[in-house]
Amino acid sequence: MAQGSSGRKPTGPQNKGSTGGNSSKSAASKPPKGKQQSISRKSVAQARTSNTNNRTQLIIGAVAIVVIAAIIIIGIVMNQKATAVQNAGYGASTKSVATEAGGVVTVSNPTAAGTSPKVIDLYEDALCPVCAEFEAQFGQQINQAVDEGKLTVNVHMLTFLDPRSFSQTYSTRAAAAMLCVAQEDGSQAGTYLGFHSALFASGTQPTEGGTSDLSDQQLADLATSKGASDAAAQCITSGQNIAAATAADKSSTATLSTATGGRVGTPTVVQNGKPVDIQPPDWLTTLLAQQ
Amino acid sequence: MAVTQAGSRRVLAWDVVGLVARLGLAAVWLLSGFEKASDPRETIVAVRSYELLPESLVSTVAAMLPYLEISLGVLLVLGFATRLAAVLSAALLLVFIGGVISAAVRGLSIDCGCFGGGGTVAPGATTYTLEILRDIGFLTLAGYLIWRPDTPLSIDRFVRLRAESVAGTAEGESVE
Repeated sequence: MAQGSSGRKPTGPQNKGSTGGNSSKSAASKPPKGKQQSISRKSVAQARTSNTNNRTQLIIGAVAIVVIAAIIIIGIVMNQKATAVQNAGYGASTKSVATEAGGVVTVSNPTAAGTSPKVIDLYEDALCPVCAEFEAQFGQQINQAVDEGKLTVNVHMLTFLDPRSFSQTYSTRAAAAMLCVAQEDGSQAGTYLGFHSALFASGTQPTEGGTSDLSDQQLADLATSKGASDAAAQCITSGQNIAAATAADKSSTATLSTATGGRVGTPTVVQNGKPVDIQPPDWLTTLLAQQ
Repeated sequence: MAVTQAGSRRVLAWDVVGLVARLGLAAVWLLSGFEKASDPRETIVAVRSYELLPESLVSTVAAMLPYLEISLGVLLVLGFATRLAAVLSAALLLVFIGGVISAAVRGLSIDCGCFGGGGTVAPGATTYTLEILRDIGFLTLAGYLIWRPDTPLSIDRFVRLRAESVAGTAEGESVE
């Protein structure tokens, strides 16, 4: 039976860099000769163990770093695929027209011959940064699908992020501006979608809790830079669609809540009253391929 | 050495504490990492909202972060290189705590309101304080594991016990 102070202390402090291995030395008390021999043999064995332990720990540490690096690299590759911009290079919509009814803007290409487009309801808030990421990733694919007559989008602009905006009214004013462009220039191909996308562009969209957002005049200037008419600009700066935007938010919030079972968040895509999982990068490709 | 009754109860107590700390911290990383990995868009938005990184780095960090967390969780679940994993965990937690403090001091709001829906909470000191306290709690787990990385049901312990039994210095054995 091993004796005395050279025993391993299971609860003692661990050596630096050890994975729990112990390399305590034998204590320097004065045991009898025979015990001294077994103790010194034991400390040689322990010293050997200690060297092996150090090397083992280095190997373990190196393997751990490799494991971490491998998981991160695999993850980055997966992440690239998940966030890849769909239909990159297609650019802006050139054939879509917009009609407005009850505060909801329907974007489609009715002249695309022989198509029965899939219909989706898109719920966004103009201040929502995740919506901006969504637009960046899927905007061009949506443009192309609508242009080709394969997709019709009902755009619902919610305004619940108003309090997060600097002016406290940005979401509502941006939604109202979009209604103006849809009403005045909806029949002009691509104008509504161009303005809609521009509002989410990096550098244009204000930040939540930020120190500024876009004034009505700036919204109007942005609209005309995307091809909107003076009538639309006038509609924006006069604020004549504010009430309509607020009413549309109320009704859209209600329909969204019904579709998701109470959860109101953006961006959300709803098809036939059911929310669509928009995490997969090919959600729209799959949706368009439905029979 | 004859391990006394009281001694073996103390060993058991420390073992339990260590196992709980290790698996608890592992769970934190795995849950957090998978949640971030499942919504890369939201993760990019979250990293950006701290306004600490130049835009060019935001998407890279947002891409790596979930998997760094997952890899630490994996190491801790296995009990492999526990001290190293605990040191990296502590470093990452300090970065998080620093980020939250920095956001709080500058009056930033780091919670994306997109998933609220009606009645968003204005960013206040209370959410930051809670988050900092929570991260300090996790930091304590990591600190404990840096101090005592030897925990039961771990690859580390298995390696150590095997090495000791090969050398003949495992507890209870003698070299005669």
